[in-house]
Amino acid sequence: MILFDRVTKVYPNQMVALSGLNLHIQPKEFVTIVGASGAGKSTLIKLLTREEVHSSGKIIVGGLDYDTITDRDVPLVRRRIGVVFQDFKLLPGRRVGENVAFALEVSGARTREIKRAVPKMLKLVGLSSKEQAYPHELSGGERQRVAIARALIRQPKILIADEPTGNLDPKNAWEIIELLLKINRFGTTVLLTTHNKEIVNALKRRVITINRGRIVKDEEQGRYSLEGGKQ
Amino acid sequence: MIQFWRILIAGARNFMRNMWLSTAATAVMTVTLTLIMMSFISNMAVTATIKGVTDKIDVSIFLKNTLTPDQINGLKQNLINSGNVASLTYVSPQQAVLNYKDQNKNNPQLIAALDQAGDALPSSIQVKAKDPKHLDVIEAVVSQSKNQQLLDPTAPPSYTGSRKATIDRIIRVASFFKTLGLAASAMFLVISTLIIFNTIRMAIFTRRDEIEIMKLVGATKWFIRGPFIFEAALYGIIAAVIATILSFLLLFGGATKVASYIDFSTTLSFFQTYIFLIIAAEFVLGITIGAVSSLLAMSRYLKL
Repeated sequence: MILFDRVTKVYPNQMVALSGLNLHIQPKEFVTIVGASGAGKSTLIKLLTREEVHSSGKIIVGGLDYDTITDRDVPLVRRRIGVVFQDFKLLPGRRVGENVAFALEVSGARTREIKRAVPKMLKLVGLSSKEQAYPHELSGGERQRVAIARALIRQPKILIADEPTGNLDPKNAWEIIELLLKINRFGTTVLLTTHNKEIVNALKRRVITINRGRIVKDEEQGRYSLEGGKQ
Repeated sequence: MIQFWRILIAGARNFMRNMWLSTAATAVMTVTLTLIMMSFISNMAVTATIKGVTDKIDVSIFLKNTLTPDQINGLKQNLINSGNVASLTYVSPQQAVLNYKDQNKNNPQLIAALDQAGDALPSSIQVKAKDPKHLDVIEAVVSQSKNQQLLDPTAPPSYTGSRKATIDRIIRVASFFKTLGLAASAMFLVISTLIIFNTIRMAIFTRRDEIEIMKLVGATKWFIRGPFIFEAALYGIIAAVIATILSFLLLFGGATKVASYIDFSTTLSFFQTYIFLIIAAEFVLGITIGAVSSLLAMSRYLKL
């Protein structure tokens, strides 16, 4: 599903963010990526969403070779991947339903189709009653669920959750993780980055640890650690 | 098509959200379009008026009544060779008397006085100039010494009189106003472009988070740019409506008040014939100014 083959990313200021990184994620996997700040997690995600372009190596996602992508294709690449951010990134002037619908609007879906899909998705994330609310009227956990609904409405094969619990209290954080597990059970590959040790340890799923732009540990039922070898 | 409608709706929504800026941009665009329209109208009217005045201009060259037809024809040919003669007519002494009587038929005393004086009126050549600003070439022909001998010494040619000065003044004033109208239109064109440029620039800054989100959920560049262009085009559309109404009110209301000084008949009939074309031109102009300004602002500040 996701293949990184000796991927290196060097920023214009010569900072090496990823250095010959190899990574292979199978379809329907639930993978957690951990690492200290500046380890290269964000760069990895930005390469996947094509916010950044790799300097060398090969990236293939869902059969698409990123070396063949032109500027025109970038929106299409982003529509194939759902992304959830720590700061939610909701449109403040639009209602919950409109925020979720927006992801379908940009891809040219018909209004009838949007009207059918949005309530279904809000029901999946447990926000049926909030369709008409504005983001500022919601709690942090609810906002993140809106963001997840928006990421999933196009039924992507891959969902990237970049520190989705970073701004949430433990109860809300767990609700979000449970929602991500539910989505994964439905068949979506989930890529989670987090600093939350308890969550990583409780998940008992594949954990990849990154340090200085390299994978230092990759375990099928991993635990949280920031350095290779230590647990 | 559905994407197009969504872009229009988003643009209209942005227009409403930025009400104050939108109003300012629309107002300055209205002034610009009205100025351009009024400058066009007055240009047409003044041109028609000048044409009307100059059409009436005759340079009258008074001749001795003793000239032979060859001498008269020679002078006529000299005048034609000057290059600035639209038409010329020879008026014989008899014809001059008839004209005089016709012009003064309500004044029997003047007619009686003429009858007593006998063949008192000189013959003349009436010249209509092609370009009334350059009567000097005609004047040069008349001043040649061989032609001077043919002229009536008691009646100098009429271009040297007060009529020429008046005509010159009308032409000078009219071209001044033409230039002024053009300059004001050009200035407001620049001002409105700058204001719209700035409005869109501010909109880009205030909505940068929103733009980032749009990019991240896979919006194409044109799906992001479209609303900004439509928002600016809306300034132009609304301004065109107001400017058209204003200009027509001024034209049809104002024309009757100055009709005795300025010839609006040509302009009015032009507007009546081409009303839809003129309205369309206003819209195209408004939309173009808006779209170009917003494209300029985006090329500078919206990096996608």
